[in-house]
Amino acid sequence: MRFLRERLDNGLEIIAEVTDGALSTSIGFFVRTGARDESDDLWGASHFLEHMVFKGTNDLSAEEINRRFDWMGASANAFTSEEDTVYHAAVLPSQQHEAVDLLARMMRPALREEDFATEKLVILEEIRMYDDQPPFGADDRCRATFFGRHPLARSVLGTVESIQSLPVEAMREYHARRYSPGNIVLAATGAVDFPALVESAKRLCGNWEPRDVPDRRVPMTALVTAHLEQIVRPTATLSYAVRMSPGPAGDDDDRFAAKLLSVVIGDDSGSRLYWAMVDSGAAEHASCHHHDFLDAGLMITQLSCDAADVDPLLSRILEVYREAATQGIGRREFSQARNKLAGRVVLEGERPRRRLFHVGLEWAHGGIYRSVADNLRIVEDLTVDDLQRVLARWPLDGPGVTVLAGPSGAEASSQATAPA
Amino acid sequence: MTVKQTLFSTTLDNGIVLLGEELPGLESVAVAFHSPAGAIHDGRGRCGLATLSGEMMLRGAGSRSSRQIVEDLEGAGVQWAQAVSMSHASFSGAMVARQLSDALPIYADILRRPLLAEDELENARQMVLQNLAGTEDDPAHRAILSLREIHYPSPWGMPSEGLSADVEGLSVGDVRDFITAHVRPRGAIIAIAGRIDWSDFVPRIEQLFGDWTTGAAEAVATGPRGPRVKHVPHDSQQTHIALAWSAPPYHSDDSYEATAALAVLGGGSSSRMFSEVRERRGLCYSVSAGYQTHRDFAMAVCYSGTTAARAQETLDVMLAEIHRLPGTIQEAELERVKARAKSALVMQQESSAARAGAIARQWYHLGTVRTLAEELDRYDRLSVRSIEEWLEKHPIHDLSVVSLGREALEVRDAVSA
Repeated sequence: MRFLRERLDNGLEIIAEVTDGALSTSIGFFVRTGARDESDDLWGASHFLEHMVFKGTNDLSAEEINRRFDWMGASANAFTSEEDTVYHAAVLPSQQHEAVDLLARMMRPALREEDFATEKLVILEEIRMYDDQPPFGADDRCRATFFGRHPLARSVLGTVESIQSLPVEAMREYHARRYSPGNIVLAATGAVDFPALVESAKRLCGNWEPRDVPDRRVPMTALVTAHLEQIVRPTATLSYAVRMSPGPAGDDDDRFAAKLLSVVIGDDSGSRLYWAMVDSGAAEHASCHHHDFLDAGLMITQLSCDAADVDPLLSRILEVYREAATQGIGRREFSQARNKLAGRVVLEGERPRRRLFHVGLEWAHGGIYRSVADNLRIVEDLTVDDLQRVLARWPLDGPGVTVLAGPSGAEASSQATAPA
Repeated sequence: MTVKQTLFSTTLDNGIVLLGEELPGLESVAVAFHSPAGAIHDGRGRCGLATLSGEMMLRGAGSRSSRQIVEDLEGAGVQWAQAVSMSHASFSGAMVARQLSDALPIYADILRRPLLAEDELENARQMVLQNLAGTEDDPAHRAILSLREIHYPSPWGMPSEGLSADVEGLSVGDVRDFITAHVRPRGAIIAIAGRIDWSDFVPRIEQLFGDWTTGAAEAVATGPRGPRVKHVPHDSQQTHIALAWSAPPYHSDDSYEATAALAVLGGGSSSRMFSEVRERRGLCYSVSAGYQTHRDFAMAVCYSGTTAARAQETLDVMLAEIHRLPGTIQEAELERVKARAKSALVMQQESSAARAGAIARQWYHLGTVRTLAEELDRYDRLSVRSIEEWLEKHPIHDLSVVSLGREALEVRDAVSA
């Protein structure tokens, strides 16, 4: 694997992880914009814009875009998060030029009024679809409460009201401001012809007007206090709980140890939470994982179980967390989790389309490139002490925000969320 | 482009089929053990027995406790999975190639020496019941389950996950009997793909499974099928629509024509359903058409989820697109379908787990593994004419329709202007 990079005069960065002999090429435009960059008036605009990018340019209709992707045999899609909007396509190497050409043109969408009106209906359907699904909005509500006035409080989809009231002019202005070349990374992985990639980028993106994009980091200042909320869904069969407590941010070296810690404590199988309540069938699901943003990090606990069991199981989860902090992490579970994580790194590293997201997001966030071998080294160098330090710096049983969603106002007591 | 492909297969004396594919450039290997202990053998009033049995097999085997099985697999860095379908109980794992020798004996224990201890039964049962409760909160999945139930002849339409009332009544004796009868070498497939050494793998499997001789095959009687149209009341914002009609099973040569026709209808973002239902009318977020196959039956499936008030229009437009298909397929549409299918086939070669799954699936359905070149060639031979002729001979009719939501929908054949 070779890592190559180039920067156009207007600020667009082009990076590639080239794997000789790979069977496919993955291409992505990583735009540093997402829900955190919105205001109240623009709530949901990043994600809605992601949809509108597929609706065409001044020269291309939506149908033409869809036909071209299918014609080149692409597996193409896009996603929007709190911090990123990513457009990606995986193609056979012979289609690299076509894929870059189409994605690059799409980055300058027409944003036509009539398309905007039709696509608004699709966005509203997407909001309703997620609202009908577990955890019934508990995750968004939990993040909103956890982050309070911090920009990361905002949900990606927006609300029915915010989408209905969004005018197309506001989206056009948002696009002009956020899709500046200096705010975009063009990344490629797999069998990449890098000189051709740079050539394509110069020709297609070289004339994009640069604009200053302000720094997005806003340190978390407010302290998290224990907090509990409930969402009632009479038709739900199970109850769902989401708990968020602080964890290492994206620029903190302890984030790797936090990820390994979460494998020990709360992976989907073989973890402490698994043996405490999933193996016995007491809970349908119980997990803990780490998620980092540019300037904040979260330890996220998720539980689904019978409504009557929410309170005792949340208490049990906090007990598991306390035991880990007081009794420490065992050698055997540590090495099991480390081997598991190392296995995941290798398997994910084999697929260019999976690598694209790692390579592209790491570069977009921190200007950092790490090969699969670098990632493996990081995992293999972690020690039990690193995990203990994470537990001490970010106590899993410390103050956290918990949101429950389920068929009734579950009998959850506030003690389930407060440290003992 | 040319992709070098190296396939292996052999059959042990006891009937186990071993399949292998070497994938150059990969560090990983994926292995999958499929035993013919699928939910098709659940039996009346015992829906979920195969799933409960599959779960019990992981709860202690050989000298390993339930916990040791997981710890040993994960300690070797194995990304493991267990699943029960209508046809098979499957245990699989993907790992860095050097870990294979540690992993294989664990799988041999699971398949050949499960403890099936009485004191594990309640936990296993509760786990199965929890999963079933979780499914109740997934309306799209429920719509598809209902569709299978009404479309396939009994017992092929039963949910492999089980039915809560049946699972409640199963005993450890049921599980033991089921495993004795159905987890057996004849009909079993072991597939491996990635960085493999076939000459080392075969003797290892011989050593671990060669003297396994339990069980005998059992035929399954096929019964009647359900009503054509079903509404499942559910208090949700969206109504979920699922449609099906019969399609040729995968082993039938014209399954390529059938799947290509379906791809034109709803297989990509330039497909007719996506264009008409989502792009032009904005009726939904997701709409698609696809293909699901058992060995002897298959179905074409269309799905969409949309707000209750727009559900009738969505169903009408979907039906109109289905009925408009014969006689209207364009050359350009077919070219796109071919490009997508061929590209997906080549890209599958980048994943050891995907290939281990694919070669086993092919063997089960075809009794052989098609080479990539054969598959690509078959796509090349598809023509608008061959698809249209096929549609003419096999007109789309007798649709099964499920709606899940607040109100039942009217199944009309034509769309309002």
